[in-house]
Amino acid sequence: MEPRSSTIGPSLDPNALDSFQFNEEIQQLMTVPQENASSFTALLELPAPQAMELLHHSPESNDSAAPAPAHSNSHTVTVDAHHTPYHFPVGANLTFPSNIALIERAARFSVFAENINNTTTDKSNHNNNNHSPETTESVPSNSSGNLGKVKNEPAESDSNKPNSPPPAENKRSVKRKEREKKVKVTTKKSKSGANESSEDAEKLPYVHVRARRGQATDSHSLAERARREKINARMKLLQELVPGCNKISGTALVLDEIINHVQSLQRQVEFLSMRLAAVNPRIDVNLDSTLAVEVSTLYISSFHPIQQVAFPWVVDPLMDSNLSNMVMPLMWPGGSSQSKQTTISTAMAFGCTSSACLGQEKKKATTLLLQKTHF
Amino acid sequence: MRSPSSLRQEFLKKWILGLQVCNSSKNMNVFERKKAIKLSADVAMASARNGKTCWSRALIVNASRNDNGKEFVEKILGSDYERQNKNSTMNRRTRCRKILKRSCTTIRKAMKRSTPSRPKVFAFSVAKKMIKKRTQLLKSVVPGGEFMDEVSLIEETLDYIISLRAQIDVMKSFANATEIENRKKDRQW
Repeated sequence: MEPRSSTIGPSLDPNALDSFQFNEEIQQLMTVPQENASSFTALLELPAPQAMELLHHSPESNDSAAPAPAHSNSHTVTVDAHHTPYHFPVGANLTFPSNIALIERAARFSVFAENINNTTTDKSNHNNNNHSPETTESVPSNSSGNLGKVKNEPAESDSNKPNSPPPAENKRSVKRKEREKKVKVTTKKSKSGANESSEDAEKLPYVHVRARRGQATDSHSLAERARREKINARMKLLQELVPGCNKISGTALVLDEIINHVQSLQRQVEFLSMRLAAVNPRIDVNLDSTLAVEVSTLYISSFHPIQQVAFPWVVDPLMDSNLSNMVMPLMWPGGSSQSKQTTISTAMAFGCTSSACLGQEKKKATTLLLQKTHF
Repeated sequence: MRSPSSLRQEFLKKWILGLQVCNSSKNMNVFERKKAIKLSADVAMASARNGKTCWSRALIVNASRNDNGKEFVEKILGSDYERQNKNSTMNRRTRCRKILKRSCTTIRKAMKRSTPSRPKVFAFSVAKKMIKKRTQLLKSVVPGGEFMDEVSLIEETLDYIISLRAQIDVMKSFANATEIENRKKDRQW
């Protein structure tokens, strides 16, 4: 499991974060099982598609919590794999697929085992019988303790003897708890995933949660762990967004950096607004709404943060991604001439009149601009 | 998908609307102008999120408390103003829920409070205190942060940082553009 984590995760491009695209995580997830094809799915001859479907559903349930616009989901389908993927949160998610595969197998298996047990005289297998009817329920948090036991049995037998029914599962269940296992699935995710779509429940009766060695398996601690992992995943995203946080380890220091960054950004805004106030003796923006819309729509897609504003009147007409063009200040005169110059607005980025511009000077400025940007 | 440039476009559109409001008011000195510019920029940035994020709603609500801010909010949001009011009531509901949750957790904590005896656990408690302090600080920095739980706080911070960056980009280029134009005009003289 561990080597898998190293194969994933090119560092996050900050622009990709704009949209909280968990679906890109899904794409990464989809690549993961293929890498493991030799190890798990081959052994389990398994439901990579079914696992993927479950994964597809459960991260999407996270989307509803994330502040992404609703239509973003439709776009993500068309996002190709070349789009910079998220740095994949290491931990629960990574081992998710294999666990799903195991779970699926185990689920099938538990039914199988039940049949076997019913035919045999081993009626002591209460747990299995109790939980197999729960196939269509979402993961019950209150019985997750029991489930842990039960799930451990078939899964363990699964990995050990893929093709033979486990005869004495009850004995093994006790030993199982003390075995070292990794936490694969967060209960919260499984819960929300199951709640979101009943199809998952049909395909996958319940989701296994493995307890770490020596850790409690009651629902509270499981929920706590799920919450903590959620927080850690988000913190990783934040770390990648804020420059210089990658090397820092430790939540408190990272939080320090984040706070500093946010405060510096806020200070920059103050400083810039002061600068603007000083530059314009009077805030005088003469724009009618049409022009505003036009300006905004023609705002070129590749807007780069401006390092230096060089000669804005470099003639590079139309909607190239020429920075200088966009920066070009647009000294619009008052109302009437604006309509004539709507075509020019295609090359302009901003429309605002400086108060120093009055009457004739305005016309001079605009004619100059017109000449410069003639195309 | 929200691209950065679409965010900037949105922000610019709304900010220009806000600046037009400044036009109509009388001559102000530099500081008042700066405040007006900053306020309009903040409201524009918050409204660019269309009320989807908590910080944006909190920012707008805070802004509409003073008179100046209210003008900007009305101008920029326009017809969305009533919707924003509805969102603010939702805010109240979530706030009540959060208060309830918080009281439950404090009760739970009081019930299972135990002093750590081993040094390892002591280190954990120290770390927890540090983290708690910093989350409090972060909550004070992000608008509307006091009412969020940790998970959503981190998400809101992420979104807030992105919006701030977009805002700074636009404002920087705006300032540069006007400065260059002024310089050009001076040269013409």
